[in-house]
Amino acid sequence: MDVQGRELSETVWTRMDRKAGAVVELTIRQLRHKISTWVVLSLGTVLMIMLLAFYVDAVREGFEPVDNDGDSVDADRDGYPLGQERKYGTSDWDGEQFPGSGTYIYEGEIDWNDQNREISGNKTWEGMSFLDSTWIDFDYKGGQWDYIIDWDDVTDCQDTRGEVFVDWIPDYSTACQLENGTYATNGKFTADGNLTVPIDYFLSWGYITGIFDVPKDPKEMYIDEDDIDWDGSGGSQGFDDDGDCLRIDWYTQIDGNGNMMWWQEPHYPDSNPNGIPCDVVWVIDPETGEVISINADSSVDEDPVDENYVGEAGHRTFVIATGKIAFVLLLGLFLPLFLSLGLVRDETERGTLHYLLSKPIHRGEFIFYRVLGYLAVVSVFVLILSLVMALITSVIGPGDSFVRLGDFPVWLGIAFTTILVLAAYGSLFNTIGLLLPKYGVYLCIIIGVWEFAMGFTTLISPSSSVASLSVSHWGLQLIDSVVLASWPDTIQFSQMSYAFGLETGLEWIWSPPVHTLDTNNPYLGIITSTIVLLGTSAAMIGIGSAVFSKREIM
Amino acid sequence: MTSELPAVMLESVSKWYGEVIGINDVSLAIDGGVTGVLGPNGAGKSTLFKLLLGRLRPSQGSVRLFGTDPWESTSPFRRVGYVSETEPLYEWMTALDFLTTMARLHGMTRDEAKERAEHVLDFVGLTDVRHKEVGKYSKGMRQRVKIAHALVHDPDLIILDEPLHGCDPLARTSIMSVIRELGNRGKTVIVSSHILEEIERITEQIVILHNGRLLALGNLHAIRGLLDKHPHRIMLETESPRELAKELISEDPIYGVRFPEEGCLEIQTGDLSEAHAILPNAIVKSGIKVTSVENPDDNLDSLLGYLVGG
Repeated sequence: MDVQGRELSETVWTRMDRKAGAVVELTIRQLRHKISTWVVLSLGTVLMIMLLAFYVDAVREGFEPVDNDGDSVDADRDGYPLGQERKYGTSDWDGEQFPGSGTYIYEGEIDWNDQNREISGNKTWEGMSFLDSTWIDFDYKGGQWDYIIDWDDVTDCQDTRGEVFVDWIPDYSTACQLENGTYATNGKFTADGNLTVPIDYFLSWGYITGIFDVPKDPKEMYIDEDDIDWDGSGGSQGFDDDGDCLRIDWYTQIDGNGNMMWWQEPHYPDSNPNGIPCDVVWVIDPETGEVISINADSSVDEDPVDENYVGEAGHRTFVIATGKIAFVLLLGLFLPLFLSLGLVRDETERGTLHYLLSKPIHRGEFIFYRVLGYLAVVSVFVLILSLVMALITSVIGPGDSFVRLGDFPVWLGIAFTTILVLAAYGSLFNTIGLLLPKYGVYLCIIIGVWEFAMGFTTLISPSSSVASLSVSHWGLQLIDSVVLASWPDTIQFSQMSYAFGLETGLEWIWSPPVHTLDTNNPYLGIITSTIVLLGTSAAMIGIGSAVFSKREIM
Repeated sequence: MTSELPAVMLESVSKWYGEVIGINDVSLAIDGGVTGVLGPNGAGKSTLFKLLLGRLRPSQGSVRLFGTDPWESTSPFRRVGYVSETEPLYEWMTALDFLTTMARLHGMTRDEAKERAEHVLDFVGLTDVRHKEVGKYSKGMRQRVKIAHALVHDPDLIILDEPLHGCDPLARTSIMSVIRELGNRGKTVIVSSHILEEIERITEQIVILHNGRLLALGNLHAIRGLLDKHPHRIMLETESPRELAKELISEDPIYGVRFPEEGCLEIQTGDLSEAHAILPNAIVKSGIKVTSVENPDDNLDSLLGYLVGG
């Protein structure tokens, strides 16, 4: 190229630069003078502040130990937690059944029409009687359906209603006292004395055997009692610390037919099934050294110490969910809906378009620069927001170091993804604004609904092929890739969350990226998603330019 | 002029909007000096300008700006400045800001653009208010900002669509002098208007459009000369019209008088210039006080009526 030629090309290029700079700058300044810009940016900021408030609140409360396997509950309120009742084979639904509660043995009864209606002895009684006692077990307790007489609430049988057992009967679970000191009973109790059963009424009796004293375990014993036992390598791992999988020395009640009692659930100690009962199979990718799958027998390592895993997994869930839902889906759609739809259309409506079109700028170029100006505004906003989120959550998040430096690439990736998504929607909505100046906004709303639906479809089923026809799908996939590239052990946390029922939501909000061309390489995922999003933006600007260049402007 | 090719060249250009004709078979070349485009509303002036600015595509024929089709290429706009008829500006910008931005759209650096903006603001006389937002400007000032915007890149061709429309007399005068000055500097200036008198004060070279057709083209005085030979009315306001009529009826070019209302005399003549030449002397000679002299027929409508009718 000769000197003249070089000068010429330089002139053309620098002039284009300057024109681009001027259009971009004008667009930025115009957006700054629009109220809707400030409204939508403020709403985005408020959204992030609310999310941060939730996060700070969750951190301030601390990661309370969670009873992941639910065996610390005491459903029948007999003082023995489910875990302890299981060991003794008693029911947690029946308050009379608890470790050492013994068994009621039936002995006999006086029916409504029996001739002999008197009986004496030290027994457990149930029914209606006149009781002339020498001793009453005031501490006798049983299940809530047993109508055990409340001896603290005995009333006087002298009543305006007339004669007891003739004109009226005491309420269930109560007794009243006659003038001579005998009690009229209706319910279950343990006492020594002489009992008379009124005619037409019924009384049965028996005794309780096998009673022994079992100290009640504190509830906390059954929380975080089965931690994850893993030495970091693959293969069969895990140990059933709380014994609920192995069940050695567990007492099991058998009914008359040789079956377990109804409250004792059937138990399969090798549910994975690899031939080894009560173990956890850890699968490690030989190339990356990362855990890619965890397959646990049920009731093994199922109640881990939450601090160690839930804190980290929960933090990642927050970061990923914020990135996907707040940044990509909400900001990604609403910012362009308010800011890009009118980029060129509004100039036509206001009548200022001719200032820009009577300049030596090709209309296609003009559209491109307008979109660039819009992108400059929203990109700065998204970058600032994501950096603020990164700073705050990385300082107060879990971990020993002061700042979680490893979070920053993820937040930058989220910002990068959001900007690409904003570019794609921005070019799309701008083109729609050009094609349908009047009704374009309705089409954009329909597209927004579609994008939301496909976004959530992608969250639930990342490999859905219908969803790949949406921008949001590729944005969410890009975040999945960025997360895996920055935090390679997210698969492990996700698998742990799933395998041990940690309820962190990580396995729901994140899955390994799909579009890695079967390599599982997150960097390939980043490249494919980036190309698709950039391609979409370019295609939309191309369509907009083609339409706009051939349009007559009245 | 720097170019060998004419600034504006139309060859048999027609433009239809569906069934409606905007411009009908217009051939035209304009280069150098100020040209007035005259025509009543709907004559096709705006359509002509939109064709020149590449905003419309001709249905037939070819439009060339400096030899290039403005519909296909934006490169001629490097040398074109356009002042639209429509009002809106970026209200929140200062005049200096607006002009600097517009200059940068032509590929100037920030410094060059600012220098040029200051220069044209001085040219249109807005230097004092250049830091004020244009939203706070009067109509005439806004019009001058728009003109300055069209000049900021020192174009060879300047197109002004009804630049005097709605301006007060003072603004009119200053805008007219700006336009004349541009013509004196050798620019090609095209000004549209529907008021003959306005154009007359700016230029002698005119194009008359009517119903989309090119009705007349050339020197305004030549065209006016034709018109002057046509029967004309002159209205005189005076306290004693009948006495004045007696004095004037004997003069040669005047062949009739009427008294349309109290204190008003209408004289009819076949030669307007001749009538105006003898009127002052005749009035002085009669000693009757005349408060105003008006030419109700000396407007575009009667010119068009004459051109179309005869």
